[in-house]
Amino acid sequence: MQLLKSLTLKELRSGLGVTGRYFFRKKITVQYPEERAPQSPRFRGLHAQRRYPNGEERCIACKLCEVVCPALAITIESEQREDGSRRTTRYDIDLTKCIFCGFCEEACPVDAIVETRVYEYHGEQRGDLLMTKEKLLAVGDTHEAQIAADRAEDAKYR
Amino acid sequence: MSEEKITLLSDASRAEIDRWVAKYPTEKKQSAVMAALRIAQEQNGGWLSNELIEAVAHYLEMAPIAAYEVASFYSMYELSPVGRHKINICTNISCMLRGSDEVVSHLEQRLGIKLGETTEDGRFTLKEVECLGACVNAPMFSIDKTYYENLTPETIDKILENLE
Amino acid sequence: MVNIEINGKVIETRDGVTLIEAADSAGITIPRFCYHSKLSIAASCRMCLVEVEKAPKPLPACATPVSEGMKVHTRSPKAIAAQRSVMEFLLINHPLDCPICDQGGECDLQEMAMGYGSGISRYTEGKRVVHNPDLGALIATDMTRCIHCTRCVRFGQEVAGMMELGAPGRGEHMHIGTYMEGTVDSELSGNVIDLCPVGALTSKPYRYTARPWELRSYHSISPHDCVGSNIRVDVRNGKAMRVVPRENETVNETWIADRDRYSYTANDHPERLTQPMIREEGEWIASDWDTALTRAAEGLKAIAERDGAEQLGALASYSATTEEFYLLQKLMRGIGSGNIDHRLRQVDFRDQAEQPAYPALGQAIQDLELLDAVLLIGSNIRKDQPLLAQRLRKASRNNGAQIMAINAVDYDFTFPLAQKCITTDLGAELSGVLKALLTLTGDSAPDSLQPLLTGVEPSEAQQNIAETLKAAPQATVLLGNTAASYPARAELQALANLIAELAGARVGLLAEGGNSAGAWLAGCLPHREAGGRAATVSGMDWRAMVKAGLKGYLSLGIEPELDCIESAAVTKAMEQAEFVVALTAYTGEGLMAQADVLLPIGTFLETAGSFINTEGHWQSFGGVARAAGESRPAWKVLRVLGNLLDLNGFAYTSAETIRTEMEGLFGDVPIGNRSEWTMSEPTKLHQGLLRIADVPIYAVDPMVRRAMPLQATADALLAVRLSANSRTLEKYGLADGDQATVSQDGGEATFIVAVDERLPDNAVYLPAGISETRGLGGSFSPIQLAKA
Repeated sequence: MQLLKSLTLKELRSGLGVTGRYFFRKKITVQYPEERAPQSPRFRGLHAQRRYPNGEERCIACKLCEVVCPALAITIESEQREDGSRRTTRYDIDLTKCIFCGFCEEACPVDAIVETRVYEYHGEQRGDLLMTKEKLLAVGDTHEAQIAADRAEDAKYR
Repeated sequence: MSEEKITLLSDASRAEIDRWVAKYPTEKKQSAVMAALRIAQEQNGGWLSNELIEAVAHYLEMAPIAAYEVASFYSMYELSPVGRHKINICTNISCMLRGSDEVVSHLEQRLGIKLGETTEDGRFTLKEVECLGACVNAPMFSIDKTYYENLTPETIDKILENLE
Repeated sequence: MVNIEINGKVIETRDGVTLIEAADSAGITIPRFCYHSKLSIAASCRMCLVEVEKAPKPLPACATPVSEGMKVHTRSPKAIAAQRSVMEFLLINHPLDCPICDQGGECDLQEMAMGYGSGISRYTEGKRVVHNPDLGALIATDMTRCIHCTRCVRFGQEVAGMMELGAPGRGEHMHIGTYMEGTVDSELSGNVIDLCPVGALTSKPYRYTARPWELRSYHSISPHDCVGSNIRVDVRNGKAMRVVPRENETVNETWIADRDRYSYTANDHPERLTQPMIREEGEWIASDWDTALTRAAEGLKAIAERDGAEQLGALASYSATTEEFYLLQKLMRGIGSGNIDHRLRQVDFRDQAEQPAYPALGQAIQDLELLDAVLLIGSNIRKDQPLLAQRLRKASRNNGAQIMAINAVDYDFTFPLAQKCITTDLGAELSGVLKALLTLTGDSAPDSLQPLLTGVEPSEAQQNIAETLKAAPQATVLLGNTAASYPARAELQALANLIAELAGARVGLLAEGGNSAGAWLAGCLPHREAGGRAATVSGMDWRAMVKAGLKGYLSLGIEPELDCIESAAVTKAMEQAEFVVALTAYTGEGLMAQADVLLPIGTFLETAGSFINTEGHWQSFGGVARAAGESRPAWKVLRVLGNLLDLNGFAYTSAETIRTEMEGLFGDVPIGNRSEWTMSEPTKLHQGLLRIADVPIYAVDPMVRRAMPLQATADALLAVRLSANSRTLEKYGLADGDQATVSQDGGEATFIVAVDERLPDNAVYLPAGISETRGLGGSFSPIQLAKA
């Protein structure tokens, strides 16, 4: 039996068969950057801070994201703004520390801090990856339409 | 300062308050606060100004806020000017079942004011109150110190016409 | 004693206590909001409902007294159902704004809602919204969050003694507020923040700056009065964010004064000195420690070598730590100078040698509550030692204590005064009381006091005071801060001592500042060394130093022109001195004009040390906040200065090593509060128009003077005025609201005049310690008044 198997090169041919099957099948490799992999609405990419439609920032400096962050990547300073509302004077996320777990987003009572679908960003210096409040709000302003659409889609599961 | 405040109370009022104060132990002067506020209100044409409340508080040696607490608790004390006649309409359950809603709407229509308001000529003030204990002859209202019972639009009109 | 059973556990408890007290002492927790052990019972929140067997309905544990054989269930289905229902009602109108609420994370309602609340509200109607009153600079309000427990109202009524907050309205319309939107001005007002079980009353300076879970708590001691209140400092990233009381039944119970609570706000005041500064040809330049310390040491050494060490003097704050006092006097005595003093608000030092080891209350603070009669002499105890006044209020309320006062101003107290004598001649009133007592007991006064008694005829008030003191089983005579700065202070104390002795009462000295006792024991005095030993090199008191015009001064934690009672004289002396080294936490106009070297030191928040309170109770603490800039704890600066001056025994490694050394020295200090002084000649009091100058509550030390929230309170704002009674004003052709110019000791200033009938004739009240009165003279000394 063993001899017969060896003589007919059965194993060699079945191996080549696998190669042949995949050779002619439709390819699944994504030709990045010309092509993009699909993303879930729950994708956890670059962080953003959102605003209300009237332009007011959402964040109320409750510091729940800061305390829930397992990587201690968030730093917040707060004070009373002139109009009496509670606001941050500093809101930093250190992306070199962040592990993109999404807990900050989960903790946020006002959907202010969110993780967007953006994953293409880089920093040429270490400091570039320290997201300040201004940078986060700018990301939010750019991608608000997508962020809002993603939240709406996911709303029924929350 | 407190001296000036106290002089807002007339001599007659003060004498009347003293009569009430005398009913309580000397160190518990403030027990007379309800009577004193009522006397002050009568002196002032049916309502208590802040200055008067303060005068009563000083007179009874209590904190002004404590006198204000009492004045704001009971609906019989008025904290803003009222008309010459205060109509207190009961809208609790017995009166409601016997048609107090119609009494209210009739009065509102006739006087041209809503509950809690005073007519422009300063004659009447409408006020919604809780049960005045005259359920047997509901619906009812009281005007000043008189009870009027078994009200119908016709009797209401007659009552109002007789009042100055 | 009765036996009750709570949750199956048999508990023996005192008769008459409430169920909640019995449960608390047995370690069984019953939820509560309105109940507080220091306040009266309201039973308004109903959260503490428990099931009691044979009772038809759940009963509120806070208002139900225990009785024999009672069987209570706090966790039975019936009790829990009741508690859950109450919680549902409480949450109906409570906003869900925990994320922006400062109470979030340390909120009783939040915690209780976790235990008893349901996840979802069945209430769909609109919530109640309540207008937020402005209660002043200290307390922020969010009244929609209020659950009507009325703890704050009861605190004002019962503890603070000023009913400022009340609950007008009824039912749903009830709300907490002040009369006519007034501010809350009590000196204990901040305590309502701790009492509030929700976030309706929160701290204004702390508002929105931190969350409780970010804070690290450290124990410390308040330095602003002789009570030595126990405080907890909450620190975030090395910065003190807030101060709250720490419970200590024997000292401050669960309260602290607003001065203790908000002084931390001065810790990062813009005037904070953050690096050493030296004056170079009249110009201030920022320097480093090496240069500045060398300059300081050389300057002091040069004067000591050229003119003799007795040309150097040291002035210290009342509120420095004991360690700092000890090192300062050790340094000065090491150089060879005995000119050391901290009693900057005293002017009469004649009896200093006979003084007790330290100015003591002469009894436990707690025991003040048990007194039957108290005689206050020259004391605004309510503003100077607010928590001692609170104890006296308790004595008056619970014990019916007769409190009497001999004062220069008819101060407002939170307890009724049974007798009062208002005069600028405190001594004459005391003589009257003594005379009356002597007649009562049939004793005779010692010869030395006879000159004070000749021709004295006791008035009715004096007679009453004498009789009340004599009759009371527990009586105390308290000498306050005005008495301490009185020109004839020695006579006052001698008279008070004798009065107390004849009446069988105790004598208490209410000391200035936070650590007078420490200063006395550490030997920060010209005539005594550490541990109360007589000084080998005796020196001058601060007034003599100023008069003598010394060449060099070393100051510790003071602004001389504000902290010394005679501003004009001390300013002149400092400006004329050749060389002044100031150890200070703050710069300031005065120091910048007077000093030659400024060495930045830490405040009490940044320094380890110990304070000794008025009972003689040692309380040590560590530094809790990060040092501002390059500032260093004063004991370290003094240690290096000692080394640079080549003195022996300055090799301390920590504040503890200094403490250990001091403890060895203090060991055998006799604790007594009596002094035996023989008067040789009575002080001649000034005649004519006198200035009465006390130090307002928010002007006691450089730190408090820079605490901006405190400076925005009514107490601080009202302090800046010249007041006199209408008779006196009339004599000078002045009326309320006029501008008047005063001159005293070569200084001149203009003030708005206010009529104040609490003052005696021929006296104007003009406080000390505030910048507006700098450059004027002292208290109970003549002043010229004219219309501006």
